[in-house]
Amino acid sequence: MQKEAEIRDPLILGKKSYHDITKDIARPVEGKANKYWWILFSLSFGLFLWGVLSMAYTVGTGIGAWGLNKTVNWAWDITNFVWWIGIGHAGTLISAVLLLFRQKWRMSINRSAEAMTIFGVLQASLFPIIHMGRPWLAYYVFPIPNQFGSLWVNFNSPLLWDVFAISTYFSVSLVFWYIGLIPDFAMLRDRFSEKTAPMKKKLYSFLSFGWSGKAKHWQRFEEVSLVLAGLATPLVFSVHSIVSMDFATSVIPGWHTTIFPPYFVLGALFSGFAMVETLLIIMRKVVSLESYITIKHIEYMNIIILLTGSLVGTAYITELFMSWYSGVEFEQYAFINRATGPYWWAYMIMMSCNVLTPQLYWFKKIRTSFVATFILSIFVNIGMWFERFVIIVTSLHRDFLPSSWSMFSPSFIDIGIYLGTIGFFFTLFLLYARTFPVIAQAELKTIVKSSGSEYKNKK
Amino acid sequence: MTKAKKYWKGLAELNNDPIVEKLRQNEFMEEIPVDEFLGDKDLSSSSTSRRDFLKFLGFTTAAATLAACETPINKAIPYVVKPEEITPGIANYYASTIYDGHDFASVLVKTREGRPIKIDPNKTAVNARIQSSVLSLYDSSRLRNPMKDGVDSDWETVDADITSKLNEIAANGGNIAILSSTIISPTTEKLIADFSAKYGNVKHIQMDAVSYSGMLDANEASFGVRALPTYNFDKAEVIVSFGADFLGNWLNTDYATQYAAARNPKNGKMAKHYQVESTLSLTGSNADDRIQIKPSEQAGLLSNLYNALNGSTADSRIAKLANDLLNNKGKSLVVCNSNEPQVQTLVNAINNILGNYENTLTLSSPSYLKKGNDTDVATLISDMNAGNIDALITYNVNPSYTLANADEFNTGLAKVGLKVSTSLYMDETATKMDYVCPDNHNLESWGDANPSHGTYTLMQPTINPLFNGRQFQDSLLSWSGSDTKYYDYLKNYHSDNWEQKLHDGYSSEVKSAIILKKINAVTPSFKLVKSDAIEFEISEKISMGDGSGANNPWLQELPDPLSRACWDNYLTMSASTARDLGITNWNISNGALNGNMVNITVNGTTYNNVPVMIQPGQAVGTVAMAVGYGRTAAGKCGDGIGFNAFALGNGEAIIEVVGGEYEFAATQLHHTMMGRDIVKETTLADFINDPTSGNETVLYATHDGNKPADQVTLWDEFDHSTGHFWNMSIDLTSCIGCAACVISCHAENNVPVVGKEEVRKSRDMHWLRIDRYFSSDMTKELSAEEKISAIDMYAEMEEPSANPETVYQPVMCQHCNHAPCETVCPVAATSHSAEGQNHMAYNRCVGTRYCANNCPYKVRRFNWFQYSENDKFDFNMNDDYGKMVLNPDVVVRSRGVIEKCSMCIQKIQEIKLEAKKAGKTVKDEDAQTACSSACPTNAIVFGDVNDVSHEVSKLKDDPRKYDLLEHLNIAPSVFYQTKIRNKA
Repeated sequence: MQKEAEIRDPLILGKKSYHDITKDIARPVEGKANKYWWILFSLSFGLFLWGVLSMAYTVGTGIGAWGLNKTVNWAWDITNFVWWIGIGHAGTLISAVLLLFRQKWRMSINRSAEAMTIFGVLQASLFPIIHMGRPWLAYYVFPIPNQFGSLWVNFNSPLLWDVFAISTYFSVSLVFWYIGLIPDFAMLRDRFSEKTAPMKKKLYSFLSFGWSGKAKHWQRFEEVSLVLAGLATPLVFSVHSIVSMDFATSVIPGWHTTIFPPYFVLGALFSGFAMVETLLIIMRKVVSLESYITIKHIEYMNIIILLTGSLVGTAYITELFMSWYSGVEFEQYAFINRATGPYWWAYMIMMSCNVLTPQLYWFKKIRTSFVATFILSIFVNIGMWFERFVIIVTSLHRDFLPSSWSMFSPSFIDIGIYLGTIGFFFTLFLLYARTFPVIAQAELKTIVKSSGSEYKNKK
Repeated sequence: MTKAKKYWKGLAELNNDPIVEKLRQNEFMEEIPVDEFLGDKDLSSSSTSRRDFLKFLGFTTAAATLAACETPINKAIPYVVKPEEITPGIANYYASTIYDGHDFASVLVKTREGRPIKIDPNKTAVNARIQSSVLSLYDSSRLRNPMKDGVDSDWETVDADITSKLNEIAANGGNIAILSSTIISPTTEKLIADFSAKYGNVKHIQMDAVSYSGMLDANEASFGVRALPTYNFDKAEVIVSFGADFLGNWLNTDYATQYAAARNPKNGKMAKHYQVESTLSLTGSNADDRIQIKPSEQAGLLSNLYNALNGSTADSRIAKLANDLLNNKGKSLVVCNSNEPQVQTLVNAINNILGNYENTLTLSSPSYLKKGNDTDVATLISDMNAGNIDALITYNVNPSYTLANADEFNTGLAKVGLKVSTSLYMDETATKMDYVCPDNHNLESWGDANPSHGTYTLMQPTINPLFNGRQFQDSLLSWSGSDTKYYDYLKNYHSDNWEQKLHDGYSSEVKSAIILKKINAVTPSFKLVKSDAIEFEISEKISMGDGSGANNPWLQELPDPLSRACWDNYLTMSASTARDLGITNWNISNGALNGNMVNITVNGTTYNNVPVMIQPGQAVGTVAMAVGYGRTAAGKCGDGIGFNAFALGNGEAIIEVVGGEYEFAATQLHHTMMGRDIVKETTLADFINDPTSGNETVLYATHDGNKPADQVTLWDEFDHSTGHFWNMSIDLTSCIGCAACVISCHAENNVPVVGKEEVRKSRDMHWLRIDRYFSSDMTKELSAEEKISAIDMYAEMEEPSANPETVYQPVMCQHCNHAPCETVCPVAATSHSAEGQNHMAYNRCVGTRYCANNCPYKVRRFNWFQYSENDKFDFNMNDDYGKMVLNPDVVVRSRGVIEKCSMCIQKIQEIKLEAKKAGKTVKDEDAQTACSSACPTNAIVFGDVNDVSHEVSKLKDDPRKYDLLEHLNIAPSVFYQTKIRNKA
C-alpha cells in the first residue's frame, strides 16, 4: 500500500512551460491592440477629458461649481478621495502582506493589483488638491522653508498627516512595484530586436536598469523585495487609519468615533479586493490570461472579501450600538438620521451592498463563479462608495444646531470629476496593460516547477 | 484786480503764425510712413525667420504670463492739500438724522476719507433699514440728473420751465398740490408755507405708505389733537397689542429699547406681554402669550375687552389678559394696528379707563412721526380725476406703488398739467411725471426734524452730492423765487446754539404740554363676528418696510426673522389651512425650499401664481403678504421680486390652487430645536425661585467622580489671566430678533451679498445670523410619557406647533478657546489670539473647508466664488459706487477662502490704540463690536472680562450664563443668558 501525499491544485493551468509563460505575458505588449481595447480606451479617455474639463472649470470659477454649501463643505470630493485610497489597499496587501506570508497565489495578480494601487492613489491624490479653494497655493501644506516669516504647517491637523501618509504610501508602492518590474522589463527588452523595434528596445533597456539575471541580481532583488514588503506592510494599516482620522479626530457626531481606524482599514481592503476582481476578470478575458488568473485566485479573494465584509458589517453594527449606548443625544440622532432621515436610501445601499452581498460567498457555487463574482464585486464597489458618502454627508448635513441643517445634491461638475477620475484610472490601466508585463512572470516561473503533478503526469 | 498772464511757447505763437494752429491740429508732427514701411519689398525677406518669430512669440507669451501672475497694484493718491478734519485711516463721526418718510432715527455717521460707511445709533435706536440706508446712498440706480419728459436735462432748464408754469397756473388761479410723506421737518413745513404764500391755492397733502390715519383721526376725535401718543413701554407692566408690531415696524424704532427695559428679569419683574394677532409678527413672536384671531374679530374683541373692563364677562380667549389689565391699572398699555378711526377710538377708551394716559402713554407731548391723512389723499385723487389739479409736486412718496387705488391715482395724474417728482429714483411715480428733480440722499443733505413734542434733531451732509441732484428744500426755494440756500435758511431757523446742536445732532426744548380735550363719552361698539372666509392681511417685513429700500441688496438678502426667507414675498398660511387647500412646502434634493402656488383675489385685485409659505403662527383661515415687494421701477436689484401687497389691501381672499412649483431662498430650513438644549429657557416664576433654573449644570461621569463639562479636558488651558480677554454675552431674553445687528455686521465687515440662487443653495455669507426656533408639540417628556419610539419622536419634533413659542438666537463665531477649527487647519490659517479671539488669516487660507466642517456652530463661511468685481454677482461689490461703502479697515475676501466673524478685530485694535495713546484702560462703553453697538435692546454686550468694570465680566458670572453646546467643552468666548418667559 502506498499513501500518496495530497498535492495542491496547480496555480497555473494549461501545463505551461517557461517559454509559454514568456510568450503569454509578452503578447499584449508585442501584439496589436484589439477592438475591445480601443473601445474601452476611447471611452475611458473620453471620460478623462470630461473630468479634465470639469476640473478646469472648477479651478477657473470656484468650488461653487460643486453642490456644496455652508453646512456640507465636503461631499463627493472627499468621498471619492477616500474611495480611491481604499481601492489602492488591496494591491499593497497582496504584494506585501501575502509575500511575507509566502502566499504563492498572489504572483498571478500582484502586478496588476499594484498597478491598481498606484493608479488609484493617483486619482485619490487629485482630490485633496482640487477640493481646495485656492489649489494654486497647495504647496502651503508642505512643510517647506518659506519667506512668509515663521509660517509653518499645523502638525495637529489630520489633513497634514494625510499629506505625509499618502505621499509615503505612493512612493513606497511605486518603488515596490518598480523593483518587481525590473526582471520583467528585462525579459521584454530581450525579446525586442534592435532592428525591428529600436525604440522599444531602447525604452525597455532603460527601464530594466541593466538587469542581466545574474545570481547576485536575483539575490538583491529578493532582499529588496523583502525589505520593501516589510516597509509596505505597516503602510497598509497606517494610510487608511490616518485617512480615517480626518473624521475621527473631529467633533461631528458620526465622525467622532474611535472605531474608525480599523473600520476604515478593513473597508479599504474589502473595496480593494473587489476592485482587483473587477479589473482582473475583465483583463483575463481581454488579454487572454485565463490560464494564469484562475477561479482559484478568485475564490481566495472572495474569501478575503467575505472576511473583511463581515468585519465591516460588525463595525457598522458596533457604531449603531455605541451611539445608543453612549447616551449622547447628538450621537443617537446622527445614526437615527442616517437610517431614517432623508439619506436613508444611501444608508440602505451601503448596508445591502457591503453587509449582505458578501454573505453570498458562503456558497461555494457563488464564490467560484466568475460571473457572480464580477457582479458582486461591482456591488461592493458601489457599496463602499456609498459608505464614505454616508459617513461624510449624512453626518455633516444635520449636526449640532438644526438651524444650519441642509442637504447636498451633486452638480454636473461633481459628477464630471468623479467619472473623470474613473476614466483617468482606466486610461492608465489600459495603457499599462499594453506596455507593461501584466503578470510578474519572473516570479511566476518559480512556481511552475513546484507543482508535483507535473512530475506525476510525466510518470 | 488780477491780470491774466499768458505764456508763449515761442515767438511764432505770440505772432499768431498760422503754422502754430496747423501743428496743433496734427497729432504727429510728421506724416507716419505707413505705406512706405508696408510697401517695402524686402520686408518678406527680412532676417526674422520663422524660428525667430516663434522665439519672440514664446518669449512674449512667457513674459506676459509672468507679468500676469503679479497681483495688480492699485495706487493710492495722496491729498495734495489735506482737508483739515481728515486724517487718512482715522474715521470721523457726524451726528445726523435719517428720515425717509417711513423710518426716523437720530444717527451717528461714520465717515472714512470723506465717505460715509456706517450708521450707528445716536439718540434713538437704529433698525436694519436705517443701517442699510448708507448703501442706498451709493446706489448707482439713483438719478444722475434732473429729467424732463424722461430725458436728462439740467437744473436751469427744469427750474425755468417749472417756475414759468407755476406762475402761469397761479395767474390763472389754478390749483397746485404738494403730495409728500409726513413732514417732520419744521423748516420744510415753513418752506412749504412760503411756497404756498408765493403761489396761493397750494394744498399740502401728507401721506404715509403704511397709513396711521385712523389712529390720528381717532386721537383728534378723542382729544382734539391730530398726533400720535408718545408711548412708554418701559413703564408698563402689562402690554397688550392687538396686531401692532411695535418691536418691528410700528411707528418708532425706540419701542424695542423700552420693551427690553420693561422686561429685564433681573429685579424679579417683567412686563407681561400679550399679543392678539392673526399674522405672526416679530412682536407676536416675542409675546409671553399669543392669541390667534382673524382680522375680522379684532374690533369685536376690543369691544368685548372694553366691556369686560367695565365689568361684563370677557371672551374666553382674552379673559386672562382682561384680568391682568384690570389688576394693573395705570401700569398697562393697549395698542392696536387698526387703521379704522372707530377701532382706534375704542382703544383710546380702553387706555382711558385703565388710567394709562399720562402714565404709559401721553398725548400732551405727542409724537409727530406720522401725519398722513387718508381723507386728504382721497380728496386729492378725486380732484385730480376731476381735472381740478393743475400742478402736482411729489416729495418722498411713491403713490403709484404704495396706494391701494394706484390706478385711480395714475388716471388722475394724467390729467394734471404740471407733474413734478422729486424722487431719487426713476420710480413708479416718477416715470409718469413731466419733470423729475432728484432730491439728495439724507446723507448728502441738510435738514432738521421734530419727531416729538419738544425734541429736535439736525441732519447734516457727510459727503458731497454724488450726482447732480438737489435737495427738495433747495428746489422749493428756487421755485419760490428765493435766492437763499436751504443751509442758510436752516441755520437761521436754528440760529441759537447752532454749533452745539449740530455737534450733538439733537436738542430738546422745554415746551408746555398740549391741552387736551376731555375724552369723548361715546365709545364705539362692535359685534364679535365669525367668518368662515379666508381673510387676507397686509404685513410688513423688517427688511423691506414700505419698499423704498427695495433696491438695497443688503435688505433683499436679510432673511425675514420668522420665515428666514429672503429675496421674496409670499403668502403666509398656517399648516392646517394649507392642508385643507392641498398646499405644501418641501425641500428638494439640495435642501432648498420649494412650495406650491395659488391665485389670490382680494378686493377685486388678482395675483396669479403667488407662492405660499407655510408659516407656523399664522392664524387658521387667514393669509398675509408683506408689502415692499413687486416693485417695477426700483432698480436692477429690486425689480420684479414678488408682488405688490399694497394693491390688495386687507379683506377677504379668494384662493385658487394652481400648478407649478415656486423656488424660495431661505437661510434656515429646519425650524425646531429637536429637543436639544440650544436655547435654554425658563419661566419668570422659576427664575425668581432659582436664578439657575433652566441652566442646571450637567455633570459627566469620570474616573474622578462626576464633573461639569469644563473640567473634563485633555487640553492645556490658554492663559487668559493677563491682558485683555474679549468676551461677548448675548441675552436671549432681551433679543427680539430685529436683525439690526446683522446689517450692522454687513456694513462693518464688508460681508458680500450672494443673491437668491446662492442663498437657495445654502451659501449665504452672513457672519452673524439670527437662528429662530419654533416650539414643537412633541417633546422628549411627552415621548417618554407616551412611550413613543425615538424615530417617531424625532420625526414629529420636526413639525413646529400651530401657535408656537419662538426663540431667537444670534449666532456668530463663538471664538472658542479650544477651537475645533484651529486644530484641523493644515496650514494654520486660523489660530488663537492671546486675547481670546479666533483669528482668520485670509491670505494663508488654502480653502480645504475642514474648519467649516468641524465647526459645531456652522458659522464659517466659504467664498464659493469671487463675490467682488464679478458680473455674476452684480451687487454693490461689483459697482464703482457700491464699492464706496466698503470699510477700508476690513479686507474684501477673495474666492476660495473661509471667512467668519472676527469679533470686529479692527474695532478692538482701534480702541486699544486709542486707550494706549490716552494712557488709560479701555472703557466699557468704548468696547463695542458692530453688533453690540447696533443692538436696540442691549442684548449683546461686549467687553473685556479681565476688567471688572466691564459689564460683560459680571455677566460671565451670572447664573443665567451658559455656553452653547457646552458638553463639547470648547470654551467659547461668546456666551448666552437663558431666555425667560413671563408665563405660568
